[in-house]
Amino acid sequence: MALETKPIDVKAALKISDKDFEQLRDYIYNVCGIYFHSSKKYFLESRLARRLEATGCKSHGDYYQYVRAGMTGSTELKKLLDEITTNETCFFRNMPQLGALENKFLPEIVAAKSKIGFRKLRIWSAGSSSGEEAYTMAMILLEKRNALLKDWIIEIVGTDINETVIAQAKEGVYGSYSVRNTPDYYLKKYFKEESPGRFVLSPEVKKLASFNHLNLYDDNKMLFMKSFDFIFCANVLIYFDTASKSKVVQHFYNNLQPYGYFFVGQSESLHGVNDKFKTVHFPGGFTYNK
Amino acid sequence: MEKAAMMQTAQEMVESFVDLPTIPQVATRVIELLDRPGVELDEVADMILADQVLAARVIKMVNSPLYKPAHEIKSVKRALIYLGFRHIRELAFTCSFVDVFEGRDGILDIKSFWEHSFGVGVVSKIIAQRVRYPDTEKAYLVGIVHDIGEVFLSYYRQDAFRALLDSTHGHPFRLVEKEIEFLGTSHNEVGLCIAQKWNFPADYCEVIALHHAPEDATLDPTLCAIVNLADLFCCVRQLDYGGKSWVTFNLAEEKAWSILKSYAPHLADLDVERFCYELDDRVPEIEDMVRSIFQGIGA
Repeated sequence: MALETKPIDVKAALKISDKDFEQLRDYIYNVCGIYFHSSKKYFLESRLARRLEATGCKSHGDYYQYVRAGMTGSTELKKLLDEITTNETCFFRNMPQLGALENKFLPEIVAAKSKIGFRKLRIWSAGSSSGEEAYTMAMILLEKRNALLKDWIIEIVGTDINETVIAQAKEGVYGSYSVRNTPDYYLKKYFKEESPGRFVLSPEVKKLASFNHLNLYDDNKMLFMKSFDFIFCANVLIYFDTASKSKVVQHFYNNLQPYGYFFVGQSESLHGVNDKFKTVHFPGGFTYNK
Repeated sequence: MEKAAMMQTAQEMVESFVDLPTIPQVATRVIELLDRPGVELDEVADMILADQVLAARVIKMVNSPLYKPAHEIKSVKRALIYLGFRHIRELAFTCSFVDVFEGRDGILDIKSFWEHSFGVGVVSKIIAQRVRYPDTEKAYLVGIVHDIGEVFLSYYRQDAFRALLDSTHGHPFRLVEKEIEFLGTSHNEVGLCIAQKWNFPADYCEVIALHHAPEDATLDPTLCAIVNLADLFCCVRQLDYGGKSWVTFNLAEEKAWSILKSYAPHLADLDVERFCYELDDRVPEIEDMVRSIFQGIGA
């Protein structure tokens, strides 16, 4: 007899009370630096249903005690984070961030570098997963090739600790879920739908980005990641404890050009992790600079 | 541009506005009541009940998520008991003010104006609480009225205002700077002229005039700084006139931030990121509240 996998019945999922939600939200924020907006309450509720079942906890309050009892970075916490960040990666994920980058930060950096005659742009997607973020940048920059970035050298580097996702990034083939946020213009111009739901990235985009294995904990290798204008690191630091986070962010700080920008994920925070970075606000988000 | 010249332009402009509304009597009375010690609850209740549209609005708003009543509140009296004295004045003031702008949709629509204004009111109050400013209610009210000049400017000077917005396409900008460029004055000066016409108290006038330059304030720089920051935060957290303003800022470089840090040194430890995320959570409440003002009330 074939094994049956039991789907989660979202409707039957235990309702999370405001108090339990706030407690878990604060815990997750304090430990991981990722904030759960109230609008994501039901999302959290349905994702927690799986964890409650797996751990045998009878209520969200019990589960909160359970996950809290483990040390920071405990297995259960990791599983919880996996549940809540899964499927986060896609092209054009963070539109407010991309808008700000296109309208303000990129022209600003281009102007600063043009003044000193240095026409090279370096971008790092740290924790690049299967490459969506790095390639999104590649597409945006390709669009500027004829004007703002005419004759500029562009280097986009994606790094991840997981070799499998690096191989996927290098291959550059994606499913419909990855391209769900991609504006039609970009989808038509830079992807080829070889068969339904199979999107192959165009070679000109792939050419702009390279992908390598890197462990962000590896101090020696981190020292070589020099002189970036933009660093992106979304939903990666949430897995680190505060001390490791501080160390890694310090590397990012050192590896960023004086006028560069460091971006984290949409609901992430560096509060208490690094006091050197300054926060720059823009509509719908913020970034960090020196 | 010279401040005096901008003020002169604003004065001439406001004089030329045809049918500039007068402030409703009830709003003036609420402002009066704000500073008078020993006001009785009944006095406020009577004032609200004397105006049926106002009473209906108060009940609508008190039932909006912003005030979170556990059960529906159906009478002004219950609203008074639920909200307490200070909050009911806030509410009465806001409700009485709604009519002033009715039908004045210009380049900026009134709904976005209210969302921004309420947002700045709510956020001013939150900041006032954080810095332990003694009169959080005043912070809320001045937050609500800080941009009155903007509505009238975008209504009475539609062509220039449209040209101004068109010129900014795809570039970051601060409205106030663009207004000076296109209109020779800004919503600060226009707002001040209107506030003076309406006999607003001096500290309200100061905030309206200087909410983009709190460092120039003399009466209450802290209050101006609170509204200035609330305004900036609203502009980056979705309460930005429907995306028509496009602001970036570095908190460390804002004068308002320095003013507030010297007023309340503990502010330096504020978790700004979390503060922003918490504001995001308030946005739907503010939008609901604005909807509740306009819904189902016969104008």
